[in-house]
Amino acid sequence: MKQHKEEKWTRLDNASKFFPAVANNKDTKVFRFSCELYEDVDPEVLQQSLNLTMESFPFYNSILRRGFFWYYFESTYINPTVESENKPLCAPIYIRNEKNLLFRVFYYNKRINLEVFHSLTDGAGVIWFMETLIYHYMTIKYGEIFGNNIPRLNYKASISEKSDDSFRKNYNKKDNFLQRKSKQSSAYQIKGSRIKENRMKLIEGAMSVKSVLDISHEYNTTLTIFLTSLLIYSIYKEMPLNKKNKPIILSVPINLRPYFGSTTARNFFSTMNISHSTHSDNLDLNEIIQSVSNSFKENLTKEELDRKLNHFMSLEKSIFTRIVPLTIKDYAIYIANKLDDRKITSSISNIGKIIMPKEFNDYINQFSICVSARRPLITLCTYEDRLVISFTSPFEETDIQRRFFQFLSQKGVEIEITSNL
Amino acid sequence: MNYCTHCEVKIRENQEECPLCGNMLSGISNNRHEDIFPRIPPYYERHLAIRILLFISVAAVAISFSINIIFPSNINWPLLLLFALVSIWLGVIALVQRRYHISKKIVRQVCIISLLGVFWDWKIGWIGWSLDYLIPITSIAAIITMYITAQIMKLSIREYITYALIDGLFGIIPILFLLFGWIKVIYPTVICVTLSIISLSAIFIFRGKDIKMELNKRMHI
Repeated sequence: MKQHKEEKWTRLDNASKFFPAVANNKDTKVFRFSCELYEDVDPEVLQQSLNLTMESFPFYNSILRRGFFWYYFESTYINPTVESENKPLCAPIYIRNEKNLLFRVFYYNKRINLEVFHSLTDGAGVIWFMETLIYHYMTIKYGEIFGNNIPRLNYKASISEKSDDSFRKNYNKKDNFLQRKSKQSSAYQIKGSRIKENRMKLIEGAMSVKSVLDISHEYNTTLTIFLTSLLIYSIYKEMPLNKKNKPIILSVPINLRPYFGSTTARNFFSTMNISHSTHSDNLDLNEIIQSVSNSFKENLTKEELDRKLNHFMSLEKSIFTRIVPLTIKDYAIYIANKLDDRKITSSISNIGKIIMPKEFNDYINQFSICVSARRPLITLCTYEDRLVISFTSPFEETDIQRRFFQFLSQKGVEIEITSNL
Repeated sequence: MNYCTHCEVKIRENQEECPLCGNMLSGISNNRHEDIFPRIPPYYERHLAIRILLFISVAAVAISFSINIIFPSNINWPLLLLFALVSIWLGVIALVQRRYHISKKIVRQVCIISLLGVFWDWKIGWIGWSLDYLIPITSIAAIITMYITAQIMKLSIREYITYALIDGLFGIIPILFLLFGWIKVIYPTVICVTLSIISLSAIFIFRGKDIKMELNKRMHI
């Protein structure tokens, strides 16, 4: 206990403000990043690695508190402890008035699971934390084997760069939030029967990156665009006929770091909506890929991303938003989110490549990422040649998942399926 | 590894059905795999005791009103019972919530007890005990409890200073009762106001900087 040290506080960044207002038991806004080893996890080594990792990420040692106008992060001296997995997938982390850290580390047999409340950071931000954790785990556990050539960690950013609020830094006051963008129509909503206790069904398909890339290239496109199109296609195929007047709209998060040269370990993302109408009788995958690819091009320009960032920042900066008490803000965000939700069918998020020193390949089988879900959705990441596509869903039904994976297996991809329920 | 011939995928865990299509897996291999996810037992309804108490309360109120209708009496005792139960429940709710903010809870309890006291006093014909005794004594108790819990629970000064401040300010209010001549017995009020002034001056003189920082943090716009 270092009581004499000053308790610091930090404002939340633009995206983080959204999550505490909308998190509830149905959608906890928690995501899980897992690393599967070839051997059983050693809890003591994991604890030591976590302690070391915390030193490089002091910002993660904070709790979320409510002020009168805004939430804020307060630094704390709670030491995170690793636990044997004892809660359902992505169980709530942020509980109002409880002074808990915003992440937890679980282990179970061969897996190390890091669960994070989304206010703390996004998927790309947590990669660095996870990489550091696994790096320490490997060097402590297998240090003797590596001898003198202990591999080096690739991610180097200063502590202040890691806790940078990149939304604020890249805001240039050009936008006025009152300019509304064009109105979007409501999207097709996937329905299903909820699993008891608001639990989530996770179906993970692990496969070779190369084989899926080959198929993407057959269609003359990239992996992300191909999988996005395949998700739209699978949803379309399982859609009831009488709902076919509504478009399928996918929400796709964009990691803003490469566009704005940021290395923050906090939130820094935006989203784009990829829409596809379902009017025609027989939708063809090629046709979907063409339109998805155009939407990606339109949305992923620096100007467009700038516009979005400024739009949300100007909303936050407006004096009107600032003087409204937090309780009212929370309700407003909650309702706005409900309305926005009607414009989304599902979502797909590609976290990208996890890069670890080559020497660790013999010990790490795969990385995977999944997220709490209000509707079936996909998250994916790759490590070496292993691509893990995780479907999470609050529903019992698995038709879209089956359609999606069957398409790939019929194309000759070898898939290994895992499910938590 | 098991294989689903329908979906043409391998199944990594020890499942009997394919997670995708739900078909039984043929030729399940005998060698068990290690689980990838633990089986988390269902979470049973908690707070059963509270539910039972709530049910008893509602039933008691309903029965008392019906008895009163069948066998009328001079005093409206079912209404008193209803008030008593509502008071207890308000207290319980305030206690159950905000488990992690002892100081906040103390402030809430002071407000609830004061309001309920005034209400009761007014409802049973305004004898004046709520202003004479209840409010000053509650405030005194709160200031002392706040100090003791902070010491016992080793709360850092920032965690309770705002509430100590609110508490101190609240404790000064009874001076109005004295000025407007609303009270008959003055001793509890005098003690309460004196204690509040001492507590507030201590906070401002020794912890003025902390108060400023706390307010900055909580009130930033």
